[in-house]
Amino acid sequence: MRTLPQPGAGTLLVVILSTCLLLFIFQKMIWLVLPVLLALMFYYCFRPVKEALVVYGVRHSAAAKLVWLLLQLILAAGVLAVALLVQANAATWPNHLARYLAGGQDLLRKSAESLERVIPLFKKIHFGTQVDHLIQQFTGQQFTGQFVEKNLLPMTLQSLELLPSLLLVPYITFFMLQDSARLKKYIIRSVPNAFFEKALLLFSRLDDSLQNYFQGLLALTLLDAGCLSLGLAVLGIANAIGLGLVSAVLAWIPYFGSVVGCVMVVLVAAADFPDQAWKAYACLILFLGVRLLDDFVFLPMTIGRKLHVHPLLSVFMLFLGATVAGATGLVLALPLFGLVAVVGETISQIVNDRRLRARFKASRQLAPSVRRV
Amino acid sequence: MRFFGKDADSQKVGMLKSIPIFSQLSSKEILELDELLHERVYEKDEIVFEEGDIGHGIYIVVSGKLKVNLSHESLKTLILEIGPGDLLGELTLFEEAPRTATVAAIERTVMVALFQAEFSSLLSKNKSIGVKVLSEIARILIRRARQLALHEQHLPSL
Repeated sequence: MRTLPQPGAGTLLVVILSTCLLLFIFQKMIWLVLPVLLALMFYYCFRPVKEALVVYGVRHSAAAKLVWLLLQLILAAGVLAVALLVQANAATWPNHLARYLAGGQDLLRKSAESLERVIPLFKKIHFGTQVDHLIQQFTGQQFTGQFVEKNLLPMTLQSLELLPSLLLVPYITFFMLQDSARLKKYIIRSVPNAFFEKALLLFSRLDDSLQNYFQGLLALTLLDAGCLSLGLAVLGIANAIGLGLVSAVLAWIPYFGSVVGCVMVVLVAAADFPDQAWKAYACLILFLGVRLLDDFVFLPMTIGRKLHVHPLLSVFMLFLGATVAGATGLVLALPLFGLVAVVGETISQIVNDRRLRARFKASRQLAPSVRRV
Repeated sequence: MRFFGKDADSQKVGMLKSIPIFSQLSSKEILELDELLHERVYEKDEIVFEEGDIGHGIYIVVSGKLKVNLSHESLKTLILEIGPGDLLGELTLFEEAPRTATVAAIERTVMVALFQAEFSSLLSKNKSIGVKVLSEIARILIRRARQLALHEQHLPSL
């Protein structure tokens, strides 16, 4: 058997640079990337249902339409539930927000006081006074106004700008469910005979990687949401399921999302139970526990096992992604790196395979006018 | 996106049903399998694959002729020509094994290719298609083994 040329350090460098370039481009056209990403997620999560329908004798196009209809019903139910929730609570949200922030400040002050009591060093450096000073600084009208003007307002406006592009999601999902096999055949047709099998292999690997990633991400989200909801319910936190689910979805943004989710839940616990600070600490421990479970059990079980990315390289790519494309880079760095690595590996094998290239050259000279089917 | 109309569908079903390994499949099953088949055209003298290449799927000849060259000492004298309905690389449906022969087109040849990973996934989803196709492949393999045994009987002893 011929041994295939293995990709080297040069390929890895090209893969990293290509990933960065793609992240930069994707950040610039996030209005398109976001709906495509969501459509891909729905496609890979609902494709098994479509395939099951086909096995039961439903035609491909009919199965695609049925699954799409089911997805629309689920999405509509979700949108309706959120709309009703917003309508019912929108008036009280500013008050709730102020209460949660006050609860958080109170927790910080109490924690600083406790530390001063337990550890003399903290008392010596007037830790409590410093924390108090910091809280006043961060909650002062000038700082809050600047924060809202410089960060919160642009972020909210940017998010609102993305909303219309989400209308593309059902449209893209439908055509993926209905025509992905034909589209693949259509693309493969344009590949020269010499590279035909390699192209099929590449498509198969990309398909596997995407399917594993999105199905893994969904499984991870459900596991996270389940663990967090259960833990929060045991602690007696209100809306445990909702908070668990939101925190699990926020965790799609590596590290940053988990921190935001954790802070959110700790604030709720601190505000709802001002005299039971241990509940807020327990929430913090719960988040750390789930984070550890994620990193060492769930993530390797779901996404990591399939993407085959070295942990050190993963962290490096996350930092690089965040530097190049901010939050978009954080979310997309790993899956994109996994995909670009598959493409890079295959192209490197083709480029380094003299026999394949010779076959391609020879075939071009045979009948150039009728090369394609 | 619709590349084939209903007429094209029925034409395709007829063409695929004429290929021995698909002859047992119903029209519905043929259409399902068709989603996975890739049509390729090879010009005269064009190499399809070479001995030692890692195979990722099988080819079924629709029209035209191909020459099979075997490098094994005892089989070098064997000149194999294959034509419409014949299979190439059937063992790769079961594992990604290296190709055991070099195959080139003698004349303009049309083939359909079935990729191993896609076929395996179809087998796990639709066992009915799998059983029918695999039993036909088994028949072809048995026939080839018999032919090979007969050929070896006529070889001079070493």
